[in-house]
Amino acid sequence: MSLQVVGCSHHRTSIAIRERLAFRRDQTDGALAQWRRSFQDVEGVLLSTCNRVEIYAARQSGPIPTVEEVGGFLARFHQIDPREIVPHLFVSNDEAAVRHLFSVAASIDSMVLGEPQILAQVKQAYQAAAERDSTGPLLHMAFQAAIRVARRVATETAIHQRRVSVPSVAVADFARQIFERFDDKETLVIGAGAMAEETLRYLRDEGARNVTIVNRNDQRAAERAIEWQGRARPWNELHDALADADLVISTTGAGRPIIALEEFRAIHAKRGQRPLFILDLAVPRDFDPAIGQRPEVYLYSVDDLEAACQNNRVLRDKELPLATRIVDQESSRFMTEMYHRATGPVIQQLRDGWQKPKDEELRRLLNRLPQLDLHAQEEIRQSFDRLVNKLLHPPLESLRDESRKGVPHGLLDALARLFQLRD
Amino acid sequence: MLAHVHIFCFVACYLVALVLELSRLWFRSGLRGIAMLGFVAAGWVAHSAFLYRSAMENGIGAAAGSPLSSYRDWLLLAAWVLVMIYFYLACYHPTTHFGVFLLPLVLCLIAAAQLWADPRPFPREPASRVWGVIHGTSILLATVTMFVGFAAGLMYLEQAQRLKSKHVPLMKLRLPSLEWLQTVNSRTMLASMLLVAIGVASGIVLKLIALGQNIPSVPWNDPVILGTLAMFGWLLLHVIFAAFYRPIRQGRKVAYLTLASFLFLVIALAMVLFVNTKHGGVAADGDCKLRIVNWNHPPTTPSGGRS
Repeated sequence: MSLQVVGCSHHRTSIAIRERLAFRRDQTDGALAQWRRSFQDVEGVLLSTCNRVEIYAARQSGPIPTVEEVGGFLARFHQIDPREIVPHLFVSNDEAAVRHLFSVAASIDSMVLGEPQILAQVKQAYQAAAERDSTGPLLHMAFQAAIRVARRVATETAIHQRRVSVPSVAVADFARQIFERFDDKETLVIGAGAMAEETLRYLRDEGARNVTIVNRNDQRAAERAIEWQGRARPWNELHDALADADLVISTTGAGRPIIALEEFRAIHAKRGQRPLFILDLAVPRDFDPAIGQRPEVYLYSVDDLEAACQNNRVLRDKELPLATRIVDQESSRFMTEMYHRATGPVIQQLRDGWQKPKDEELRRLLNRLPQLDLHAQEEIRQSFDRLVNKLLHPPLESLRDESRKGVPHGLLDALARLFQLRD
Repeated sequence: MLAHVHIFCFVACYLVALVLELSRLWFRSGLRGIAMLGFVAAGWVAHSAFLYRSAMENGIGAAAGSPLSSYRDWLLLAAWVLVMIYFYLACYHPTTHFGVFLLPLVLCLIAAAQLWADPRPFPREPASRVWGVIHGTSILLATVTMFVGFAAGLMYLEQAQRLKSKHVPLMKLRLPSLEWLQTVNSRTMLASMLLVAIGVASGIVLKLIALGQNIPSVPWNDPVILGTLAMFGWLLLHVIFAAFYRPIRQGRKVAYLTLASFLFLVIALAMVLFVNTKHGGVAADGDCKLRIVNWNHPPTTPSGGRS
């Protein structure tokens, strides 16, 4: 019974190598089919993301493909020289492989600690392999356990709760603390930067519907309005748009603030004390920082958000030891279960071997005592069952204890010889 | 069995729940939420049993008293309703830390009831019983509403302060959004004004009934009446002003206004607890109400009432 992972990741392999080994989604079917042809009886799951390409392999009995063989498989599929890639591949076996899988699924092996996409990618990889009959009992067990462990890490640690990108922090950590809902709010986008687009995507996910775009270039504003499903307003209506807005994302390339404090005072008077959330993502800043001192105005610059992201990264890192402890604990529990499963056939034979004489003796005893009523017969039957279970308990416990260290081959052999168990 | 239910039972439960709520600031635990709700539920059951016993002993079982009409019971009932509101919020918003703000208020109400409130029930007067119930219930609910508004106002100011200082919201002490808190603030102001209005109107009816029957009644210049009217005036002014001037319904202003309303409530409650008043009965002996009350042996008059 073996389990192995061979692959490369962002930890020690450059993107130049990773992108040559990566599998596009439409290549996965072919790759899994080729895997099954190349390595019969070897279960395989292919995990390919922008940060890693990994092949998880498992086999009930017999040798598992070596790193060179897996490297050869990857090289053949991508039609590259195996010598170029094999040195970049890492390999982990059994418990280390399980720990690696659990760490990946729980996102503690990711480039951005705690990023949420990896679990979905692990699930997709497992599902794809299961649909192509490339998995078997061992990898089913391992991947289902990995998904469970990832959920446990997410529940018991705060590793996923902290956002680490500027747009996600802006929306989840600040905008959501101000507004309960976004579908009735007016979002104003000033400029047309990429960061604004990404922030808008997060706001859309939260339910934002009413988007207004203002740009110095009216044509550009109209284009963005179509693209972002909003409406464009001319630049000279900027102050009116600010008076109407609840959330503002500003990303112009202006050399000096486009809204000074004096200008904002007039806008503020029209707003009737409604809270205003301003994300000033421009450098240099679009809004005079003094505007943030006005009541009911919550103004955040890129630096403010970066500081919050950095703070979140530190807090995520603090959660790492707890997440690692969970992964270690679950890995060793998984291995114990896996090794214990290997003892299943011997346990079954042992039970069957004791069951047969028990049944014979019970039948003989009951034949000799025909005067017993049904209740007495049932009592005797239960007593025999208890006796067998008590006699079997010590050897089964010993097997379970030994399974913590690996498949207990010595003990299994001894049991087989002592009780004359046959395959 | 009910005789063994003591105030300590539910105070201890609420205290443990508060400690558990505060412990969220220091460490995470998967079981804490369930334990917290368990303690609050257990406390609430004991609290209910205590009030039931009090109603049986001082009201329904006694000849002259109205059930749960004493100032002590009234404060305990307010705390009981506040606990229900907290339980609802804790169930539906389990990640938000309402308990940090609401449970201390519950404990304050119980402490006020324990330390200063008069445990003697109001006299039973059949002609005005319905109006008495309406009067007591509406003022009770207004008090609870203003307590909720006060907690929401504090949470608003804390949340706004955090957001202004650009601190990432603490995972350990999660608060609702400003918009949610502002809505709660506005609604509690309106609801408390309506409830106090019902309370004042039913109080006037009670007075008129007493005058019609030539029964001694609470004078118009009683400190409790004046305190309540001042609070009502403030709430009414606020609601009228807010209807015509929108900014007063927005942002920090509404939070500050709920805090100010709470101040009026505290003054009215202080009148009830510490000032010599004829409200709810007649203090013929003219003694000051400020005293420590032993609940196991509450002071009683031969008639069971206060007059």
